[in-house]
Amino acid sequence: MAKITLEHITKTFGKKTALKDVSLCVEDGEFLVLFGPAGAGKTTLLNMIAGIDDPDSGNIWFDDTPMNFVEPSNRDVAMVFENYALYPQMPVYDNIASPLRSRKHRTDEAGIRKEVERVAAITGMSEYLERRPSQLSNGQRQRVALCRALVRNPNVFLLDEPIAHLDAKLRNAMRKELKLMQKNLDCTSIYVTHDFTEAMSLGDRIAVIRDGEILQVGTNEEVYYRPAWEFVARLFGECEINMIPARIEKRNGRLWAVTRWEGVEFPVPVDVERSLGDVAEVDLGCRTPALAFSREPAAGYVRGSVYSVEPLGNKTELIVDVQGDLIRFIIPVDTKFGIDETVYIGLNPEHIIFFDQKTEAFLACHGEETGTEV
Amino acid sequence: MAENLVLKNLYKKYDTNGKKKQAKEQPWAVHDLNLEMEQGTFVSILGPSGCGKSTTLRMIAGLESITQGSIFMGEQDISSLHPKDRNIGLAFEDYALYPPLTVYENIAFCLRAKKVPGEEIDRRVREIAKTMKVEELLDSKVSGLSGGQKQRVNIARALVRHPKVLLLDEPLSHLDGKMRQILRGEIKRLHHEIKCTTILVTHDQMEAISLADYIAVMKLGVLQQYGTPDEIYNDPANAFVAGFIGDPPMNLLRVKVVEDASYTYAFELGDGSLLRVPEKFYRVIHTGDVFDLGIRPTSITIVEGEEYDARFKVDLFEFLGEERSVGIQINESLLNIVYNDNRRFAEGDIIHIRVNPDLLFLFEPESGERVRPR
Repeated sequence: MAKITLEHITKTFGKKTALKDVSLCVEDGEFLVLFGPAGAGKTTLLNMIAGIDDPDSGNIWFDDTPMNFVEPSNRDVAMVFENYALYPQMPVYDNIASPLRSRKHRTDEAGIRKEVERVAAITGMSEYLERRPSQLSNGQRQRVALCRALVRNPNVFLLDEPIAHLDAKLRNAMRKELKLMQKNLDCTSIYVTHDFTEAMSLGDRIAVIRDGEILQVGTNEEVYYRPAWEFVARLFGECEINMIPARIEKRNGRLWAVTRWEGVEFPVPVDVERSLGDVAEVDLGCRTPALAFSREPAAGYVRGSVYSVEPLGNKTELIVDVQGDLIRFIIPVDTKFGIDETVYIGLNPEHIIFFDQKTEAFLACHGEETGTEV
Repeated sequence: MAENLVLKNLYKKYDTNGKKKQAKEQPWAVHDLNLEMEQGTFVSILGPSGCGKSTTLRMIAGLESITQGSIFMGEQDISSLHPKDRNIGLAFEDYALYPPLTVYENIAFCLRAKKVPGEEIDRRVREIAKTMKVEELLDSKVSGLSGGQKQRVNIARALVRHPKVLLLDEPLSHLDGKMRQILRGEIKRLHHEIKCTTILVTHDQMEAISLADYIAVMKLGVLQQYGTPDEIYNDPANAFVAGFIGDPPMNLLRVKVVEDASYTYAFELGDGSLLRVPEKFYRVIHTGDVFDLGIRPTSITIVEGEEYDARFKVDLFEFLGEERSVGIQINESLLNIVYNDNRRFAEGDIIHIRVNPDLLFLFEPESGERVRPR
């Protein structure tokens, strides 16, 4: 195991800057998720740590050892990719054992058996050691690839979108399996994904990356309830967060948020007030709990009409057109709305996340959901 | 007379290029399919790859010959009509647009081929471009468009002929998550506006559930169930439909009926833990019977207090945003519970659960047929 420290890593490919001054620390034994959209620099960063590619500037440390000029084979890093590259002609046992038979890691057969059985037990593959890859499901093949990476007892374990190509159902199951395996896993791990569910489920912490820059590092609840940027807020949640622009006005010594929808205005919660400073234009980040709806007109509600209704089995996604803004949120499955039906929308200020409209940076949210304790 | 689309005893077996021996073993791509689709409704044909959904669509369009059976549009048998005379609009997954032409010319293409007067072409192209929100793109070349834009143009082209039936073959599967969500809403909206009978072929159960009025679930060429999304989701005909529909998927667990002092009857799960049998099943079960039990993750509630149906030890906790999930390992499988309040659980916690008896399903282990209470 090792603590990984990245200091001011920069990397350019021609004119394109892939990584901009990235500093990140992964604690010993931590499972860190590197999360961001395609092209954000996730894989580039992983390659730096593995030694497949070198940074233009900046330092990489494993504990107190500088790694910049260490060959990949001497870094004791194991990688798992999206395509698992198994040997089709070998049984699972030999696939897993193959790194231990290489010149570098040569181990005696008794030692190999012990290792293979250990990692197979972690991944639940003990009963499949005699099979060939062709006789396995995709999920099982991925587990063999994981075993093969783990068998060397690496310092650092790097996983690059290992389950991204599986269908939704299998991905769901594999994610849970990875989560179950985690507690038996005894090495520092970095997991790259663009799937927010995987990120929130698996990461001890999540590092959100965009255009080669790390935007936020935090626990799943921190990035969900206190996203540092509007961009981060948009990435988490299956129904994208609504951003409703508002002006901040002073009335009788209190700050009020006034939206452009007539009548939709409210005094800012007291604890939020303190963090707003003198920002005059905000975006109100509203996920489902921050939105209220009613079939009848009510004070503080604005009239809208149902743009689309999408039942999702155990819940329903409602899209409401409010004066040209499309507002999306989840309603209970037994609440039925028809397209073009009138619906009134209101806000629950205590669930709103406030952003600076100009910089798109996080300003404040009401204390209840800070993600620390409920 | 409404022009319902009716499939009557439809069979399809693919030609084996005259190899007689193989012809015998060649499976039915579609086997005895009967469906009646009411004019103006949105029907989805749903199933995994190889279930015969696209074959069915192609037979409706006239692109594939019918081995046996017939297709009616209202009173008229259209089985032997040429595709162009069936008055059906088609939009496939790969857009097959003409890259050198502008969006306008792509949409106008088939009208020009039909020698529709120029003025009318212009009127119709602009009208449909407005509906599909591609008005601003009319003068652009197709090659520069994004995937979502191309699919909009593709659907516009299918609709410009004012077809009686619109066929969509996996229209969203090429698109990334966000775009797919947006276009899904648009398609729903579109159908509400034009009210044209629409058939959507998809392998994505979420797409089918959120868009369709009726869903036909198919497997290996055979219709499994035809009903509203609500019926398919809450009253599945068999274990296949139950397991195929829903995300996260339904828990399916092998159970044995035992007598129990505190519950009268209980289902014994693979690891020996017990789950109370709802009273409604007493008349159809006997001690020692084996079933596959189906229960959705959202039909299970974690309760405090005396009254409970089962007690488990938590193996897995996932924070997923508005939803949270608890997993319980039962031998090789995982019993998954999903809820959306603020409670947190940790590995090793003992929880008590209640199951919604209306949404607990039993299936015959061999055939997968539903066992209903009498």
